[in-house]
Amino acid sequence: MENMLYGSSSPHLRSEETISRIMIDVLIALLPATLASIYFFRFNAIKIIGLAVITAVITEWALQKFMKKPVTINDFSAVVTGLLLAFNIPASAPWWIPVIGSAFAIAIAKQAFGGLGNNFINPALAARAMLLASWPVIMTNWVTPGTDAVSTATPLAILKGEAEGSLPSIMEIFTGNIGGSLGETSAILLILGGLYLLYRGVISWRIPFVYIATVMAMTLVLDGGFTNMIYHTFSGGLMLGAFFMATDYSSSPVTPKGQIIFGIGCGLLTSIIRLYGGYPEGVSYSILLMNVAAPLIEKYTAPKVFGEVKQNA
Amino acid sequence: MKIFKTLKNGIIDENPIFIQLLGMCPTLAVTTSAINGVAMGLATTTVVVASNLFISIFRKVIPDKIRIPSYIIIVATFVTLIGMFMNAYAISLYESLGLFIPLIVVNCLILGRAESFASKNKPTISIFDGIGMGLGFTIALTILGIVREILGAGSIFGLQLFGESFKPAIIMILPPGAFLALGLLIGLLNYVQKQKKSEA
Amino acid sequence: MREIIKIGLILLLIASIAAVVLGLSNGITNPVIEEVEMEKSQEARAEVLPEADEFQIVELDDVPAGITEVYEGLVGDEIVGFAIKTATVGYGGNVEVITGISSEGEITGMKVVGHEETPGLGANATTAEFQDQYKGKSAESEIGVVKSTPSNENDIQAITGATITSDAVTKGVNLVIELFNNTLDI
Repeated sequence: MENMLYGSSSPHLRSEETISRIMIDVLIALLPATLASIYFFRFNAIKIIGLAVITAVITEWALQKFMKKPVTINDFSAVVTGLLLAFNIPASAPWWIPVIGSAFAIAIAKQAFGGLGNNFINPALAARAMLLASWPVIMTNWVTPGTDAVSTATPLAILKGEAEGSLPSIMEIFTGNIGGSLGETSAILLILGGLYLLYRGVISWRIPFVYIATVMAMTLVLDGGFTNMIYHTFSGGLMLGAFFMATDYSSSPVTPKGQIIFGIGCGLLTSIIRLYGGYPEGVSYSILLMNVAAPLIEKYTAPKVFGEVKQNA
Repeated sequence: MKIFKTLKNGIIDENPIFIQLLGMCPTLAVTTSAINGVAMGLATTTVVVASNLFISIFRKVIPDKIRIPSYIIIVATFVTLIGMFMNAYAISLYESLGLFIPLIVVNCLILGRAESFASKNKPTISIFDGIGMGLGFTIALTILGIVREILGAGSIFGLQLFGESFKPAIIMILPPGAFLALGLLIGLLNYVQKQKKSEA
Repeated sequence: MREIIKIGLILLLIASIAAVVLGLSNGITNPVIEEVEMEKSQEARAEVLPEADEFQIVELDDVPAGITEVYEGLVGDEIVGFAIKTATVGYGGNVEVITGISSEGEITGMKVVGHEETPGLGANATTAEFQDQYKGKSAESEIGVVKSTPSNENDIQAITGATITSDAVTKGVNLVIELFNNTLDI
């Protein structure tokens, strides 16, 4: 059969890019931050990451078997979803939090809407929102890095005056030696991963850069100066969200203009929630809201077909 | 035989929630616990039976042109009556259902049955149509309420099911939980029905 | 023309019958409803100020914002304390609290009687565990809210994950303390 000649329809020239190649790139980009979280949170991080990833893969496999669809766990997309979800969970969470979260992400947010490419919101973020609404106490029980895991507050909560404690130094924020969920601690390693994805062409610069720039501008003007802006930019989930969540292919716009609008929208919502809302952190909700708005943005920024005449002109 | 068929039609074949998707507002809003589901279902059943009966009796008297305002008056009268009596004799239920009792008036299930059934059929059969539809509505609301209460509060009809270690998913008794539970239940029913059909 | 009049009359007839039926049943249920509601607030007052046998409404000239009802609790002719209802802004809406305070200036009880807080979080303000914390606090200073086990005598522990609700409830109780110290002190 191997020598058979196929007469296939166009396109005849294909990109070498496959889903699994992209997903492996994302995993490589997340590797430094993953190692850092294991270094900071030790066994707790291994436990949560492992459970989230394994549950995501098993859920995907079981559902696709059940629905008699081709099993696509080899494309690594479930692994990425599980890992991203684990990054959104505090290290002190009990074992069933990543399990329920991953099952929800894959079963409800991804497969119920038709699987990879058809999900209208980012599955990992949808699961995080569900976990946060269901178990708000567990999901905001931040602990300090290290083995003794003392209860602490996130820099953003301290900044907002919701929690007592002294702000960590800016250096600690960069390296990740602060309270927070697994993956939102080390800004510098996340940026490194983001730059790798940019270099590989997996993501475009538009959404992450516009997103981060909007948050920087908003917090610089509205939250009193440069130092606070640094804290807003490099602590919390902004780096993780901007590089790895907001850039999800199927839930963000494809048009260049649309991506810029998407980034601005995410940035505005994040800043508004952080500065004036009821939560100290707003990255996940802003991205989810903009996910829902993405089809609309795409509709209004779709390039005109060549030769098309404007109607009612 | 016709009575039985009308009842079955309301409860199963054309279940107002799972098949017709009517009356979504109370369905999603009040099913935070099993008891709320039962109470809302029974209140709606009473209204739909009474309004079906009266509309059927007067179906030849009410002129076609003003049938909708007439139906609304009849339905609204019964809803207000139920509200008053609940407030007087079942105050805790009245308080937990709150705003949604007056909103039974605009439940499209009731006006829908008035328009499509009671205005064309005799009183006796209209009563049974009301009972069937009302029970179908009640059963669906109760199932939703049970599912949401177990997952979201760890109890059923107020009885704690699990020990201290069980941490209920609060989202299930919040609005998003209503959509999740309803969507999954409808999906499950569709799946079961499809299996049945392919077997037959 | 004749048809419009006919239709109008029929509609009028239906509406009048409905009005008569509703009027009659309102006559039956209204006294019952009033009694039930009276009983309910009476019960709540008795719960927060168990000492008193009887409650009498107090009309104050200039009531501070947030205070909705002031009752004095009587044993015979003697005033033994007050049961005061407050409404403060919580997370989802107004939080209504009835606070009992004895003439000696001790909080005798507190009950959350109406709220729109999140189930599972702020709604836990209605648990006895939370409400009993206020019992026995003195009106000499304001009540504070802390997140961990309180070390100060006049502090209470906030409901986990619902600081805003705890603050709203405490604000209601503090309003009562303020009113007691400034206006009702005897």
